[in-house]
Amino acid sequence: MSQHGGKSGRFRRVAAAPCLLTCILSTGLSQPALAQTPAVATSIGTPAGTPIVNTAGLRYDADGTAQSTSSNTVTIIVAERLDVALVRDGRGAVVVTAQPVAIPFTLTNLDNGAESFVLAASVSPGAAVLRTLVIDTDGDGLYDPAKDVAPVGGKTPLLAPGQSIKLLAILVATPEGSATNAVLTVTARSTTGSGATGNVYPSAGDGGGDAVVGPTGALATVSVPLGTALAGPVLLKSQSVRAADGSQTAVRDAVITYTLEARFTDAVTGARIADPIPLGTVFVPGSLTLDGAPLSDGADDDAGRFDPSTAQGAGVTVALGRVAAGSSHTVQFKAKIQ
Amino acid sequence: MITRPMTAAVLVATAAAASAAAGPLQVSSSILVEARSAAPDGTTRVTLVKPTKVTPGDKVIFVLAYRNSGAQPLANVVLDNPLPRQIAYRSANPGSPAPDVSVDGKTYGSLATLRVRSPDGSTRAASPNDVTSVRWRLASPLAAGSQGQFAFQAVLK
Repeated sequence: MSQHGGKSGRFRRVAAAPCLLTCILSTGLSQPALAQTPAVATSIGTPAGTPIVNTAGLRYDADGTAQSTSSNTVTIIVAERLDVALVRDGRGAVVVTAQPVAIPFTLTNLDNGAESFVLAASVSPGAAVLRTLVIDTDGDGLYDPAKDVAPVGGKTPLLAPGQSIKLLAILVATPEGSATNAVLTVTARSTTGSGATGNVYPSAGDGGGDAVVGPTGALATVSVPLGTALAGPVLLKSQSVRAADGSQTAVRDAVITYTLEARFTDAVTGARIADPIPLGTVFVPGSLTLDGAPLSDGADDDAGRFDPSTAQGAGVTVALGRVAAGSSHTVQFKAKIQ
Repeated sequence: MITRPMTAAVLVATAAAASAAAGPLQVSSSILVEARSAAPDGTTRVTLVKPTKVTPGDKVIFVLAYRNSGAQPLANVVLDNPLPRQIAYRSANPGSPAPDVSVDGKTYGSLATLRVRSPDGSTRAASPNDVTSVRWRLASPLAAGSQGQFAFQAVLK
């Protein structure tokens, strides 16, 4: 089922660039779902504080008798390497509106020890205002104010080595309106310390060893361009994944629900939404809907159809025809990962 | 206040361990890292120093320094060093004889001669990551008072 179905539609996950409606017709907005999954190398290594213990064994013959003994034992304690990754789950500019928009991020502890991270978010003056930056408790990419709260003291809880959490930046358009493009900047920094790679924080590591700043500088920054209120029509595309085990893991046979929302500031005629089925997925028959109403897959008298052989491969098209000023229409369809 | 007596106890234990190794053949094991410094002639000098901050992926050098402190020569000297589990073997350190290596703790040889058995019964050539133990044999007896050292490079997993 759609991830959007069970929650208020006011908080919509935006995962793709806004686009003038004409460009929907010619360019493939779709990115394969797997390509959008943040690929973070999680080679975390030996945990901080682990003792590395070495003893050599010796054998020799003295006076014709075999003897054996051992060397001294030497121990070193593995230091804590401070590293972090922060990745936006999506790409392109985000259009902010009067309704709050949630922009999702994934924070990963690349440290070889348990670490918390200081979070900060800001928006340059312009079209948008930051409401809050929260931890997305259930990781569904949707803002649930009852559960998704700002981190205590601006810090995440301690994350285990390699552990990831989801964050959501909640933005709204500037009330008085502004034509200036704004930029959202989100940073995460290791609480223990950050800075130049190789910087040492003595005895600050897990297990009593030193903490050392790793290749990431223990600081990660992501910038997201925020669009102004556009004069023309806008298409926002988002997606949610549901695997057979109920998780949101993009695995084989997981079903991706794509949501395409077309917003029209002015009345137009002949509007048409077209979207190719991403590579590596197959269209789920009978899953196409327009504003919640099912559309048949065939080329018949309803507005939508699934075409297995368009110029860009298989795709769906929905003819909206004449649309009113200030309206929006939402097309959904499902695809299964192969 | 518990800390001080405990520290003392650890020091005593360390001293006891060192004396346990007393005998005609003395071997000192150490784990070191490379420190690079600019030499006066403009080259970079690499020295081995005690590590203060080893993190995963760092290169470490295991050094075994041996000495016959007795009055008689010692024959058939063998030093073997099972690798700590968190350590991946890389190569002999420059200047050190290459050790025989083992991927199972039983069969020793050069890496190129060793194979690793997979769960499905097939075998493949061994790689440095498969090495679990290294070993050196002295080809000739170690004379009284003589000494030497072996060293290999490894990486913290």
